[in-house]
Parts: sequence; structure tokens; C-alpha cells
Amino acid sequence: MTATATQRRSSEEQASGTSAWRRRVTSEPAARVTFYITAFLIWVGLAAMFVRVPGPAAVTASLVKEFSRGEVFSNFADTFYRFAVGVFLSVVVGLAIGVIMGMSGLARAFFESPVLVGLSIPAIIWAFLTVMWFGFGDTSPIVTTFLTAVPFVIINVAQGVQGVSRDLRDMSSSYGVPLGRRVKDLILPAVAGYVLAGVRFAVIIGWNGVLLAEWFGGSGGAGFRARYWYDANQFAGFAAWVILFVIVIVVLDQLLFERAARRAFRWRDAGH
Amino acid sequence: MAVLTVKDLYKTFGAGTPRANRVLDNISFDVRGQTFVSIVGPSGCGKSTLLNIISGVETHTSGQISVTSDDGKPARMGYVFQDPRLLPWRSVRKNMLYVQDQADDETNRRVDKYLDMVGLGKHGDFWPGQLSGGMQQRVGIARAFAVEPDLLIMDEPFSHLDAITARALREQLQDIWSQSKKTVVFVTHDVVEAVELSDRIIVLQPGGKIFEDITIDLPRPRRQTDPAVATLQAEVLARLERMKGMAPQVSAAP
Repeated sequence: MTATATQRRSSEEQASGTSAWRRRVTSEPAARVTFYITAFLIWVGLAAMFVRVPGPAAVTASLVKEFSRGEVFSNFADTFYRFAVGVFLSVVVGLAIGVIMGMSGLARAFFESPVLVGLSIPAIIWAFLTVMWFGFGDTSPIVTTFLTAVPFVIINVAQGVQGVSRDLRDMSSSYGVPLGRRVKDLILPAVAGYVLAGVRFAVIIGWNGVLLAEWFGGSGGAGFRARYWYDANQFAGFAAWVILFVIVIVVLDQLLFERAARRAFRWRDAGH
Repeated sequence: MAVLTVKDLYKTFGAGTPRANRVLDNISFDVRGQTFVSIVGPSGCGKSTLLNIISGVETHTSGQISVTSDDGKPARMGYVFQDPRLLPWRSVRKNMLYVQDQADDETNRRVDKYLDMVGLGKHGDFWPGQLSGGMQQRVGIARAFAVEPDLLIMDEPFSHLDAITARALREQLQDIWSQSKKTVVFVTHDVVEAVELSDRIIVLQPGGKIFEDITIDLPRPRRQTDPAVATLQAEVLARLERMKGMAPQVSAAP
């Protein structure tokens, strides 16, 4: 019988055995870029096949025109103000209720149903309701953003708090650590991942909310401007705004949340 | 000096239900002053439950339990657990400060002093995840001493460590204790460890009753290899053999 030996390759050997271009092509950034290229090619293909799908050239031309008219920055400033206030409120309220829900069975029993109801109501319904309640202006988009986002923050934070290590809670009790310090040093860092996930959801879903509220009841803002082009039957102008919506969310996610996650979990990467 | 008094203590999990499980049965003892007491017994005899009740993490079913300090203030307790129980997202120093009443200069000096005593004076800014298991446990010990407790409670603090690290930490614990002279209640299932460290050994038997209360009258510092310690260990083990149904686990002397 012939003996066969299985040799394990070290990371250095693996690195030296793979050419630089191959490592780059099979990297995670390359996968992301591949998606964007594929999506772009599909868009070009669809535009070539259907008259009512504006191609990249028409959309870019509309975008340039919107920029030159000064519509982009002023409308986005309105939208961002409403969006930021709504998300900020949803994070503050969501954190407070989520922590209380996670720590108290009584609070959980009280808040569980309204949170589930909140989760089940889509942003478009809130948009309709708030326009009916508050009319046109800043209030409708702010409240829509808040009501759409807050249940996601609450449910994530509450789950995180419930999952805080029993051992660490017992340690804190046995040393008589005051509640405020426990929340700051034990509970909030322990639920940081859940909070980040909740806020991430809140931002994405809140962005939907604010745009929808502006679409139906805005007197300005990015959603309102998209509706303007839609009503004018100008699909290139409409698509230009959709592209901007997507870019905003992608940039926010990459700049804000990727960095926040890296900072919040730097202790986890500190190995031996 | 702290006085711990435990009188007619009972603990039943699920009391009043068909699944009621009595784990402590009429426990009475007291510990006074600069004494190192070990509570020994097989797994499931209620040692850790007793410690949790003393520290206030668990409530007892009936009986009395009190810890008093000399100065009339509420007794301060330090706790060393089986595992280090450090906040992984806080540095070693911040973990030590987390359990302190204040964060003034005096507290910082005390934290530094005990980190030095466990040989981790230069690791204050490390994350717990950057330390070995033994080093993390040393942080846990330093944290407990740094609150300058009236009563120090230790729950099998070396049971998760390898024999060599455990021996080194036992010796370090003896050194620190001989300087600070705290009242210590130490739980272990290891009779050899108990004899090496203690002035007194309280043996719990299955069912949660006290089987025996043994005084260890040997000079310090002690090492497991000292002939007098070894002789007494054999004697205590022989006495424990009489406890029917109990099979005390004895670690091999490293």
C-alpha cells in the first residue's frame, strides 16, 4: 500500500502561489464591481429593447439638466432635513423602548403588539395617512419616516438586550454596578450589532418613507421632483431621480455603516 | 474585618411546584475576620448556589444570611468566577474600573496596584481578547481585590485553567491574600487545592447539607509539595471517603 501525505499550505504559500491579478479578480470589491457592470449592461439591453425604458445616455442628459437647473441640491436638502429628523427620532425612541423591552417582561408584553402592528404597515400606507393628517409640508415626510423606521429599531434593540450575556449581567449584579453604568458599558456595547442593524434598516426603510410621503404630499424634495417628471410623462427625468435615490442609499451605507461597524467591533478583530 | 453569618439556610428551586428541587438544606456557619474558608463538595451539591446567595445574585428560600463590615457601611464584596467574565469591548483597565464605586485618582492607583500584583501592569490598555485565558483570569482576580472587598467570594476560579497556570495562580493568590488579608469564601471541588489555600474547609454533601467543618492549621505560605500539606491532604481525603455517595474529584498535583 502506498502512503499518501496530505500537505497543508501556509497562508504565505497560498499567497505566493496565486498571481496578483487573480487575487484581485476574485476579491470582494471585484464582486461588487461585477454586479454594477452587469446591472449596467442589463439596463443598456432593456433600453435597446423597449422604447419606454430610457437608456443611460438619456438619463445622464436629464441628470445634467437637473443639476444645471439647480434642482438637485435644493430638493435633496429638503429631503435630507426631513429624513434626518425622522431617522434621528426613530433611533432615539427605538433605542429607549428597545432597551426597556429587552430588560422588562412587563414592557415586552406592553409594546410587543404595537411594534408588530408597526412592522406590518408598509411605508406607503403611512405616507397616505400622514398626508391626510398633516397635509403638505415637512411634517408628513418626517412622521412617515419615523413611523416606518421605529419598529425596526425597537425590535432589533430589544432582541439584542435580551441576548446580553447572563454571566456578565450576574457579574454586574454581584458587584452592585449602578444601572446607568450597566446600560452604558454592558448593554449598549453588547447590542451595538443589533443597534447598527436596526439603524441600517431604519435608514433604508425611512428613505422609502420620506420619498413616498414627498411623492404623495410633498411641496418639494426629491420624491416630489421624481413625481413631477413622472406626471410629465418624462421617463428619463424620472429615472434620473431614481438613480440618485439609489446612489444616496449606497453611499450612506458604505460611508456610514461600514465605518461604524468597523469602529464598534474593533475589539473583536483584536486577536492574540 | 467582615463577618459572614449563614443561619438555617434553605434553597429550593421551584418551591411549591411538583418539580421542587432542594439544593441547600439547613446550612449554618459563620466566617469571621481574616479567614480563608473553602467550601468543598461534589458537583451539584449546591456550592455555587450558596455563593450566588451570599453575593445577592440568587435569593434563598428561607433562613438568614448577613455580611457585616467593621465600619458600619454596607459590606463590599468582590467576586471571582469560574471564567473571567470580562467585558470584551472594554480594555483591561476599564473592566477593572467598571465595578469600582468611583473613578478618582485613588481608584486608579488601586487598579494599577492590583494589576501589578497579578503581573499585568503593562496590559491595562489591552482588550481581553488579546490576553490568554490565564491572564484574563488574573484580571478577574485583580478586579475582585481592587474593590477592596470586605468579603471576597471565589467560585472555582482555577477550574478552567491548565494545571501549570492554575498552580501559578494559586501561589499568586496566596501572596496577594497574605498581603491584603481579606475574608475569603472559596468554592472548589478540588480537596488538594482547598487544603493548600484554606484556614478552614466546609464540606457539603449531595443534597446540600454540611458534612464536616475542618480546620486547617498549617503555616503559610504553603505549596502542594510541602510534606505537611500532603499529609493533611491525605487525611482530609480519608475523612471525605466516609461520605457515602460522594466522590470528590482530586486534581493531580502539578
